[in-house]
Amino acid sequence: MKRSQLAVSIVLAGLAGFVLLESRHLSFGSMRVPQTGFFPLVLATLLLILSIILCGQGLFGAQSGRSPDNILPEGWFRIAFTLIAMIGFALVLERLGFLLSTLFLMILLLRAIESQHWSKVFFVAVLTAIASYAIFGWLLGIPLPGGILGI
Amino acid sequence: MDIFANVVLGFSVALTPTNLLFCFLGSVVGTLVGVLPGLGPVGAVAFLLSLTFKMAPATAVIMLAGIYYGAMYGGSTTSILVNIPGETASVVTCLDGYRMARQGRAGAALGIAAFGSFIAGTFGVIGLMFLAPMLGRAALRFGPAEYFALTLTGLTLVAYLTQGSMIKALIMTVLGLLAGSVGMDPISGEERFTYGSLTLRDGLGLVPVAMGLFGVAEVLENLAAIGTQSIYETSIKGLLPNRKDWQASGWPIARGSVIGFLLGILPGPGPVIASFVSYAMEKRLSRHPEKFGTGAIEGVAGPEAANNSATAGSFIPLLSLGIPTSAIMALFMGALMIHGIQPGPLFINKYPELFWGFIASMYIGNAMLLILNLPLIGIWVRVLKTPYAILFPMILLFCLIGVYTLNSNTTEIIIMLIFGIGGFLFRRLGFEGAPFILAMVLGPMMETSLRQSLLISRGSFAIFYTRPICATLLGVAAVFLLWPVFWSRHKNIPRSATPP
Repeated sequence: MKRSQLAVSIVLAGLAGFVLLESRHLSFGSMRVPQTGFFPLVLATLLLILSIILCGQGLFGAQSGRSPDNILPEGWFRIAFTLIAMIGFALVLERLGFLLSTLFLMILLLRAIESQHWSKVFFVAVLTAIASYAIFGWLLGIPLPGGILGI
Repeated sequence: MDIFANVVLGFSVALTPTNLLFCFLGSVVGTLVGVLPGLGPVGAVAFLLSLTFKMAPATAVIMLAGIYYGAMYGGSTTSILVNIPGETASVVTCLDGYRMARQGRAGAALGIAAFGSFIAGTFGVIGLMFLAPMLGRAALRFGPAEYFALTLTGLTLVAYLTQGSMIKALIMTVLGLLAGSVGMDPISGEERFTYGSLTLRDGLGLVPVAMGLFGVAEVLENLAAIGTQSIYETSIKGLLPNRKDWQASGWPIARGSVIGFLLGILPGPGPVIASFVSYAMEKRLSRHPEKFGTGAIEGVAGPEAANNSATAGSFIPLLSLGIPTSAIMALFMGALMIHGIQPGPLFINKYPELFWGFIASMYIGNAMLLILNLPLIGIWVRVLKTPYAILFPMILLFCLIGVYTLNSNTTEIIIMLIFGIGGFLFRRLGFEGAPFILAMVLGPMMETSLRQSLLISRGSFAIFYTRPICATLLGVAAVFLLWPVFWSRHKNIPRSATPP
């Protein structure tokens, strides 16, 4: 925990430094007429101070929260698998279309936690894809990408 | 117009077939969200926000409000039957509710939770009806300095009341303010931190960020530690509490209603705090405090009343001052702003149909929930048995559709996933999402009012301490900021630990 808190405070200090650098490209104005860069600069300074305090807490004992280390390898696998599937969905959605993308996403996710029977997986995936398309596309009239199927 | 005429106006809006239908749908979806662990009311409201674009503003707000108080009702079912709170405001209900279920009194616990919620919810709406217009009139005298002080105090209070380290909550607040500064400068129109992205030019969207922090992060958290949950197998009968139950629960419901309403107005997780304070108070006032934690009906009645009353109270600062005090209120503000409506002191006078229609819908929604919840408990129990392996892909799909349909923009899906990963990691490290989202929403208002104040005062900070309301608010903020420094034992609101 101590190590992760220190790591977080370093990342946050880095972020504060980055915003400070970026704010230099924005006009600060003056205290009488504050401009675009004024607020981010104040915030970045505050973030830097807070990350130093957090670092101090990490070094001298006061800390709270759990460490990501507590997650078992299969837990990390499920998380990574789910995220990759969702990123894939975002990348193929407009090319493949809503129906096919949803179908593939559901098939992947339904087998992410436990290896369910393929017939059950296909049934739930097809049902979900069609039902969600019916609700959002037809019933609510939300434009969904047609993709290669054209619907 | 007197209050009676306003209420009649409100009911004429709320009782239209469309609004009644969406009030019903909101209540049912909210109950479902409350029953199911894994998607809280914030995630559900964030997801459904995109569906409200085509609705009339009153219909949109009525449906979203139904989700919010429906979730408060539904959360108790999971707490009582599974010992897992459907949402955080029902954590405390597990203590005695689950014990009652194990003793064969699940029906009485569910019944008193529903009746207590109904009574307190109605009390809260009456309070909202009287207090919001009064506060709105008072806020008409507010200038930029007061608004800056108000936003700063609100954010400080949220950071103080958030679970865990205050430094971490303050960090999340600053990060949220920074996220709110992405996009066009609200005064000069100059771009900040957009790096040529058209999506970022309008700023980070509230929905993708909220869905990431509260929807995706919650699912990732559950995926990290999937366990088995046992549903208490029993036939649930006798949902109407008996005379003895009512005698024991009457005062706890009354006290919970008042405490919940007052705590709901304050910034922070009002319903959560209210339920814990109510439990602690009932235990202290009880002649048999030793029975608490072993199946005392007062331990269910008080907290359930308090969290429902708090939901109504939490609308007061938003509707009368334009200041959201929690993540879910920030989303409500977003919902109103999408329709071009700015909540604040002029809101009630400018949009009487909307305000009073919303008030009337809350009366109707509370009554609907009472009628709905008791007979439908069997269905909710069956829903609870849905395996998480089937449930979570659907939650994620809804998040993806909700974000994509906002602007038909896949970049916003990526933004949601980034905030989902960030939210998950931050949560594991003890950083809460609520201060972030609140700060992100309040950020532009805070920056504008700060810069306007300095322009008015020609760069003098005296404007902040020479105006009485402003000075008082900043004094309150200073007290809460310095409190943990001088009192080393910062009183946190535990969300999973046994309350006192």
